[in-house]
Amino acid sequence: VIDSLEIAIVAATPLLLAVQGELFAQRSGLVNLGLEGMMLTSAMTAVVVAQLTGSVAAGFAGGIAGGMLVAAIFGIFAIRMSADQIVTGTAINLLALGATGFIYREMQHNAMFARPVPHLDQDLIVPAAWILFPLALGGLLWNTRFGLGLRACGENPEAARAAGISVSGYRWLGLGIEAILVGLAGAHLSLALSSGFAENMTAGRGFIALSIVIFGRWKLKGAVAGTALFGIAAALQYALQAMNRGVPFHLLLAFPYVVTLLILCGLTGGVRAPEALGKRER
Amino acid sequence: VRRALYASLATLASLGLLGAFAMAFGHSPRELAIVLFNGAVGSPFAIEGSLLKTVPLLLTGLAVVIAFRSGVWNIGAEGQFIVGALAAFICARGGIVTALLAGMLAGAAWASIAIVLRFWRNAPEVLSTILLNFIAIHLLGWCVNGPLQEASGKYPQSEATLELPLLGRTSVHAGLLIAIGAAMASWYLLYRTATGLRIRATGLNPSAATWAGVAVRRHVFLSMALSGAMAGLAGAIELFGVTHRLFERFAAGYGYSGIAVALLGQLHPLATMVSAAFFGALVTGAGELQRSADVPSSLATLGQALIVLVLIISGSFRSRD
Repeated sequence: VIDSLEIAIVAATPLLLAVQGELFAQRSGLVNLGLEGMMLTSAMTAVVVAQLTGSVAAGFAGGIAGGMLVAAIFGIFAIRMSADQIVTGTAINLLALGATGFIYREMQHNAMFARPVPHLDQDLIVPAAWILFPLALGGLLWNTRFGLGLRACGENPEAARAAGISVSGYRWLGLGIEAILVGLAGAHLSLALSSGFAENMTAGRGFIALSIVIFGRWKLKGAVAGTALFGIAAALQYALQAMNRGVPFHLLLAFPYVVTLLILCGLTGGVRAPEALGKRER
Repeated sequence: VRRALYASLATLASLGLLGAFAMAFGHSPRELAIVLFNGAVGSPFAIEGSLLKTVPLLLTGLAVVIAFRSGVWNIGAEGQFIVGALAAFICARGGIVTALLAGMLAGAAWASIAIVLRFWRNAPEVLSTILLNFIAIHLLGWCVNGPLQEASGKYPQSEATLELPLLGRTSVHAGLLIAIGAAMASWYLLYRTATGLRIRATGLNPSAATWAGVAVRRHVFLSMALSGAMAGLAGAIELFGVTHRLFERFAAGYGYSGIAVALLGQLHPLATMVSAAFFGALVTGAGELQRSADVPSSLATLGQALIVLVLIISGSFRSRD
């Protein structure tokens, strides 16, 4: 039981990193539906850089660079041009899916990318993602002027602007934090959990992460607890499938989303979404 | 007409970008264009393939258009597509018409959940529809592994079900006519009826619409339900016309592609027909590229994304009228 729990935790690590990243973006008022594409892109750039340099560390840096690249595209459209965030996010998912799929297949013709992908042995990302990051990011969000400003931009951008805060500046920073975390998530997915890239390898993790942000009520504690729950539910699925007891594990998989939906409706009391979430800045 | 020009220019620009991208990987854009064109419309077989792909894209595109007209982005078309197909499969015993209606009803119901939650509990529909997509995907997974699995129990898929009649001697099914009819009906509803006018007023400016005496909530609800019905119909037609079976990866991203289709169609029902045909041809042509020229078919997805981004830049779809 302990073993499978550990596997569940390790397997859910990219998810948790992405959840924390999206949480920061959403606290600043941005809904980044392009999270899926961001993670997919950084999974690919991580593998490419790791293969070119032969170093895992460089691969992780490459993953972050990939996340930054997607964040830059999202930011130019959603912040700079105040384009619709939902349309932009959807376009970015299509863009990442198309571009990574294309580049991946093209790479197969190139001998350089036939080299083995360096694999991460000592996985420090897991404890960092589950303990260090939530504590540090929680402190940043709730106990600093920066965190206050960021939350203000997500709740009431007009008031924030009146108080002399640069709303777009804070949103860029929130997006930047997301890019770093999601870059790590993509790199962890392709360099630690698997060894290499595969087409559409994120397989909906970005959208699951979006759900967990809601499940965790836009809080880091909730992010950790929610990811653990979703991760364990996914691990249970494989266990049940292996035992083949005829338990309807697909219904079990749907259950966390039903609960999340109830949380979104505030039926379990408490916190709601940041007020200005997803609204266009004029 | 000006907006059609905009859309065509944006498409040309995106195709240019796409060619540049392919060139960066050592392909000749001219050869690519020739293979793509022939693969999409170069033979009767290719045209049939393109039309088959056009049907689901047109219906999910219409779903996005109708919802958007009342000011709602329906990104839950994927889930509505799935429940539509599920309901249609279950009701197939009652004949094809009953089954298609059941699919529409199920899609409408699934979309309504999101809008009810928004009015009742202020839950943003962008987030709730994503959750509903997941619930639909797992529901389908349960069905094809459990109650609806084929009797042999070999694969996680359902038994084969009814088939839509084909048009003449082609491989194109009657769903094409239904989809075109749906586009005409949507145009008539939105532009030629009082209800359509109220829906559009709601989307343009909800508070002004309220002052003008429009029951805003009722019209948002109505257009979202209609939108879900279109997506559900798309799923049902795809089931009876193309796949004939349900399986886990049934939706294949049609719900999300519908957003690109709707945007290129300038969020107008009739223009959406052109845009869906274009994307259908693009997808089919890209499939041919992969088979005969060994160029990844992901090029089609990339093309959809580039078109949306270029359209945002040109800002043409912001003027909603």
